[in-house]
Amino acid sequence: MLEVKNINKSFYRNAALTDVSLHVNKGEILGLLGPNGAGKTTLIRVINRIVQQDSGSVHFDGNLMTEKDLQHIGYLPEERGLYKNMTVEAHAIFLARLRGLSKKDAKIKIEYWFDRFGINDWRKKRIEELSKGMAQKVQFICTVLHEPKLLILDEPFSGFDPINVELIKQELIEMKAAGKTIILSSHNMKSVEEICDRVVLIHQSKKVAEGKLSELQEERKLGLYAVRFRGSMIAFVNALWTGFEVVDKQILGDDRFEVSLKMRGENSFDDLLNVLIGQVKMEAAWEVLPSMQDVFIEIVQPKKEVEDEK
Amino acid sequence: MRNSLLIALREWKERIGSRSFVALSLAGPLVVLGCIYLLFAFGSQPKQHWKVLIADPTGLMANKIMPGEDQAVDYAFADGYIEIDEFANAKKYQGFDALLEVNEKVLSNKVSHVFYRNEPSVRMQTKVQYHYERRLEEILVGEFTDLSLQDFRKIKQPITVKFTNAYDPEDKASDMTGWVGFFYGALIFAFIFLFGMTILRSVSREKSNRIVEVLLASVSPNQLMVGKIIGVGLAAFAQFVIWMVVIAVGLYFMRENLFPDLLDASKMNVQELVLSSAEQSYQEAHFAAREYNQFVDLIYSQVQFFNMTGFFLLFFAGGYLFYGALFAAVGATMGSESDGQQFVLPLIFLLIFALYSGYYVLNYPETTLATVFHYLPFTSPVVVMVKLSIGYEPGHAYEIYLAFFVLLIGAFIMMAIASRLYKNGILQFGHRVRLKHLFKWLKRS
Repeated sequence: MLEVKNINKSFYRNAALTDVSLHVNKGEILGLLGPNGAGKTTLIRVINRIVQQDSGSVHFDGNLMTEKDLQHIGYLPEERGLYKNMTVEAHAIFLARLRGLSKKDAKIKIEYWFDRFGINDWRKKRIEELSKGMAQKVQFICTVLHEPKLLILDEPFSGFDPINVELIKQELIEMKAAGKTIILSSHNMKSVEEICDRVVLIHQSKKVAEGKLSELQEERKLGLYAVRFRGSMIAFVNALWTGFEVVDKQILGDDRFEVSLKMRGENSFDDLLNVLIGQVKMEAAWEVLPSMQDVFIEIVQPKKEVEDEK
Repeated sequence: MRNSLLIALREWKERIGSRSFVALSLAGPLVVLGCIYLLFAFGSQPKQHWKVLIADPTGLMANKIMPGEDQAVDYAFADGYIEIDEFANAKKYQGFDALLEVNEKVLSNKVSHVFYRNEPSVRMQTKVQYHYERRLEEILVGEFTDLSLQDFRKIKQPITVKFTNAYDPEDKASDMTGWVGFFYGALIFAFIFLFGMTILRSVSREKSNRIVEVLLASVSPNQLMVGKIIGVGLAAFAQFVIWMVVIAVGLYFMRENLFPDLLDASKMNVQELVLSSAEQSYQEAHFAAREYNQFVDLIYSQVQFFNMTGFFLLFFAGGYLFYGALFAAVGATMGSESDGQQFVLPLIFLLIFALYSGYYVLNYPETTLATVFHYLPFTSPVVVMVKLSIGYEPGHAYEIYLAFFVLLIGAFIMMAIASRLYKNGILQFGHRVRLKHLFKWLKRS
């Protein structure tokens, strides 16, 4: 669907993107992650043809991307604005027409989306009269009104309350199911974990990781396991003896605990279960995979430390 | 182009619907009308009593001219030729306000000249012409026909009396009509400044509320800039049309209601006066109608509003594109709405300089510098207006179109430069604009 090849972009002497390549498949949600200033927004701007890359190319639907392809892209920038003195409806029509819709078609789509987001009563209100959340909804609607094939959302959840975050998430999942392709740039790792199929991590202008979430987590797992049980903590520790090392424990109740531990020697998950069953009342046991947040920090932080040392 | 038009349409709607547009549409022309009213009502009144020296070397008038009939004018006769320069400067003639030259050819070519020191009111001009014409008729009837004076007056040809400044007989210095051009030019620059600032504010507001990034995902920076300039320009044009209509209606209203006798003044025909010369009160009423100062004459008779307005629109469009692009570029380079004001100052200086150039050309229309100003895109909108009202030499009308052509080229070059600054500056936020930024952005493609 979209392929970015060897993009380089620098502003004066500062590299914003260094040889960045990535691809997004049709019907996929790609998470674009990276710390502030990593180059995510520049990459998004390059894809949207707002900024011209120094070298490299962007391909859309198999062809070198042209200005015409912009009509098939819906872009919600991180720092988005609206014309405060326009009415909600006029604003939506204006942006839809800029994306190639006729006025008539724009009105039909507006009818649908305003109904869906429950803002029909607000269509004649001026933007300045809207609450922040309401304005965010309008911005989102303006992004999807022309039914783009590719949606690029930069921090789409910022400013939304949890209910609206959920609403937007559901919309994205439905769009994905309908075959739309989505690039999601966000610092909200929980949301990324929930809805993204793959992620690309950019750090200091370079792509530093790419893959399915599970693959990235697998690559960075620390051999940690967790057990939730009822019973005596002493009995639990005795049962482990020297084969396992307790890393962390949490007291959940009077006789209820959750313990993180590491294997020692050749011990496996099965061995762990074998030694514990009968000693404590097991509620759950699982292999602990790093969260996306952990993966993110692990990739970003060491490099920062090296830099600090310099 | 479609996107530029959509941007333009949105700008146009926003401007037309804004309170400041409505306020300016009403207040602007009312202020202009108010000034005109004050000039009409309290404008300087020329001298009420005139001493006219009639130079009659051939003795045609026989030292006679409607004696004692009018207290406002005293006549004296001189036998020989008097050079204009001599009349203007010689001490013995200083007591006279004007010199009426009676040439023997007047009987055939029907043209005479009056050289004045201070421009007379139209009333005074009419009086002198009337007195002179009546005396000439007596001579013509006495010497060449058997007709009665009344019958002769019915068939005679009118005499033209040309009034000229004794100190400037070739009329080198521009008269008040030049100021009309200056007014038009100043109006162009007032509109350019007002609407240029509107572009600047609009661009910087789009930057500060970040809608610009949403727009740039659909339109190129160039399309955005052009759309904005066109949209705001259309609003400026609409404003101008409203101004012109309100001013025209206001002037008509003034002529019909506040100064009703102005209408008679403009239509007054000396011939009709002569025909009804027996009615002294009728004459006085008509002379009084011409009492208003020359400003009235200028507004209602001399200015070719239609012609001037046509060229005004052309040069306004060119000048607006030229400066509008600059304002847009400055707006795009601003880091925030409050920052970058220092780059507005040079623009204001440029506009003031353009106004000064108009004033300069008003006073020295024939100098080389005036010619340079005439073609320089920065200054041509005001200078051409001034020159247009002073009048181009016959066969030199092409200069107007040449100046317009140069202005258009200048505007397109300026648009190209501005579009580069616009493109590179529009997505820069929160910085303090420095000259080095501008140079960097100019260099970047």
